[in-house]
Amino acid sequence: MKIRDLEALGEVRRQGLAKYKPARPRIAVGLGTCGIGLGAEEVYQTFVSAVEALGADVQIVRTGCFGFCAEEPLVNIAIPGKPLVIFSQVKPEEAEHILTDALAGTVDQARALCKIQSWDHLTGVVNFGEGFPGIPEWDEIDFYKGQKKIVLRNFGLIDPEDIEEYIAVGGYEALLKTLRNAEPERIVEELKKARLRGRGGAGFLVATKWESMRNAPGDRKYVICNADEGDPGAYMNRNQIESDPHSLIEGMVIGAYTMGASEGIVYVRAEYPLAVLRLKNAVAQAEAYGLLGEDILGSGFSFHLSLVEGAGAFVCGEETAMIASLEGRAGRPRTRPPYPSEKGLWGHPTSINNVETWYNVPVIVSKGGRWFAETGTERSPGTKVFSLVGKIKNTGLVEVPLGTPLRTFVYDIGGGTGDEKAVKALQTGGPSGGCVPEEMFDTPVDYEALAQLGSIMGSGGMVVMDEDNCMVDVARYFVEFTHSESCGKCVACRVGLDHCLRILNKISEGQGTEADRDALEHLGPMIRDTSLCGLGQSAPNPVLTTLRYFRHEFDEHIEKKRCSAFVCPELVCYYIDAERCKGCMACAKVCPSKAISGSRREVHNIDQERCSRCGSCCSVCSPAIAAVYRESGGITRRIEPRKKAKRAGHREKTP
Amino acid sequence: MLDTLARPQTELEDQSFIDGVITEFGSKPGGLLSILERIQERNRHKYLSPEVLKFVSSRTGVPLSRVYSVATFYSFFNLEPQGKHTVCICRGTACHARGSRDLLNNAKLMLGLHNQEDGGADKLSLTTPDKEFTVRTVACFGQCALAPVVEVDRKIYGRVNEREMRKVIDRVDSRGKVP
Repeated sequence: MKIRDLEALGEVRRQGLAKYKPARPRIAVGLGTCGIGLGAEEVYQTFVSAVEALGADVQIVRTGCFGFCAEEPLVNIAIPGKPLVIFSQVKPEEAEHILTDALAGTVDQARALCKIQSWDHLTGVVNFGEGFPGIPEWDEIDFYKGQKKIVLRNFGLIDPEDIEEYIAVGGYEALLKTLRNAEPERIVEELKKARLRGRGGAGFLVATKWESMRNAPGDRKYVICNADEGDPGAYMNRNQIESDPHSLIEGMVIGAYTMGASEGIVYVRAEYPLAVLRLKNAVAQAEAYGLLGEDILGSGFSFHLSLVEGAGAFVCGEETAMIASLEGRAGRPRTRPPYPSEKGLWGHPTSINNVETWYNVPVIVSKGGRWFAETGTERSPGTKVFSLVGKIKNTGLVEVPLGTPLRTFVYDIGGGTGDEKAVKALQTGGPSGGCVPEEMFDTPVDYEALAQLGSIMGSGGMVVMDEDNCMVDVARYFVEFTHSESCGKCVACRVGLDHCLRILNKISEGQGTEADRDALEHLGPMIRDTSLCGLGQSAPNPVLTTLRYFRHEFDEHIEKKRCSAFVCPELVCYYIDAERCKGCMACAKVCPSKAISGSRREVHNIDQERCSRCGSCCSVCSPAIAAVYRESGGITRRIEPRKKAKRAGHREKTP
Repeated sequence: MLDTLARPQTELEDQSFIDGVITEFGSKPGGLLSILERIQERNRHKYLSPEVLKFVSSRTGVPLSRVYSVATFYSFFNLEPQGKHTVCICRGTACHARGSRDLLNNAKLMLGLHNQEDGGADKLSLTTPDKEFTVRTVACFGQCALAPVVEVDRKIYGRVNEREMRKVIDRVDSRGKVP
């Protein structure tokens, strides 16, 4: 059915609401990639069979991710008239119990994570109901306290595979309004008031970018969504597309109309198969409802959207490299100007924006630029989604107003490392960013403040490092990455990074000298200043920031041949304490180099010649015995067996 | 000339498939990527042979040098036959911070790949001589919350340690097992 006016959209909205807030219990299982990785598909199937077996009148749907990845699988239960209740870490065997409770109009309040009485989707408010006093409201629990969901407004609530549920919460109304008013210049005005900055990392003003594209001559223009999320440690774009693909489409159609483009492309990583699938499905649905394709909403405006799967090249996140890739060439950047907004894909004006930028557009159109600018800081308004991962208890997607201090992320939302280890640093901005030491966690997160520390906000990856992470190794890791991802066009980046990597290898092997360390400090600015694109310009950041804030670790490697985090293999030796070893064979069995001798109930010994220093023995030696120990540059440490990442516990039961 | 050279090498069934994807994607943005992605996906050994690259070049009119440039630039494309089973180790930052390099070294040692030349780089793809296993890395699966992550035969395993990875590899390894 093609929607052509407000009335028809209202009709679909009513139908959608009947699904989203039905007159019967609704159980929605969070089936994003994270949830699936933790068994959500099994949970979903168990619910489906349980409903069939009982012949129960219950709606079971798939939804996206509510952000709290550490607590997946998340399941939310909506009983008519009652708050929406979210359960965490749901196991298949609990499905029947949850289902029978729901049929009886209740939930196990002590088991629930949180509840939502009313949700503001920003494009519409949905009141679920009141009750269940034993369950905290969603923003009362640590992980969500202080979060503000603008981009993630629909995540984990609506069914991402059903356009009607998106319309149910006010979706596509901003588009209808835009096309009805037929004043594209007003959209630019709202963006100016919002002072929205590009969310891909560079932080360029979106209004300026769109205006110059709008004013560029030419009847053929392209808009592109950059979903080639290559930053290791960042996955917000994957989740955004998986959980709410229609917000992206709506943002892009509004953008295309504003800038006068008739064709759009979403360039998405091939490593994200579920995102590709859901977006394809969403495009087909939007076309069927007349919200995409020819003569959108009967306005005469036509816009076609296609998907291109990237093929694993980090540099293609750079806009001119992405254009080269779309033109069927190796993704190598070119000089600017001309900027893509003047001469882009096949010479036509092109505007490339990050996934998250597009997600902000429908809300700004719907609520106005002034409303948007109320959140965040003067120069960096709005919110930003971060993926909080690494050595942190509460991993997940976190959306907070810009200007929130780093400390809030790590300790209030993230809950620290989750064990007795201390946080050492926070890495922001991926391979283009830097490591911020714990002492500087009062820094507010915005484009300028992080740049002052030598890091960047980037696309929003935040990786927490603890005392078991070696900062020389971290610097080496990122240079290894940028070195292998460098397209090779600029000598500074190609050869300079190669040289950096050799030096860092030397240092981590205990062969480095002070001159090597100084050479890194010399090479960094040179690579930054003489590379063409963002990859080379920012590749030295991880090295320069670790040198700046963790210089003593470099010195330790150089002078004492010591890695106090026991990470750099060449500087660490593994031994077995003869007095503690019970001869259980666990380490001997797991050793891939067959370097451990000694049979059952005999003391084991590690052959230092054969040992590959992989640390497997450490991870299997029972903590009660703790016979394996490590030595580096004169210090030793007994093993602390590598535990599986501890999952965040359930909230304390309220008496 | 290339056309006649390529013909006998590429099986007829493959040719019509390749012609099909060229017709579908040839003129679209990102066309060459889409074409090569689909051809590789359909190949039994998940790779692009020199014959196929020549054939694609002759049918699309894109110079072979450029087809080759694209096939070698992007890490997704394999120019060598891949193993029956693939162990893919995520080398993203969160996985690295949680010990994925040890997992990688371990997988290489387990499958006897530690002596193979990998250029010392972290980004690699190594296949056992019997074509049973390929060990490769990926920049990031975007599964950072479950770090460290290993994918074996397209199934993702999160929060793994050496022992668990070993179990999974042993389970899919059919070599030397008495039927």
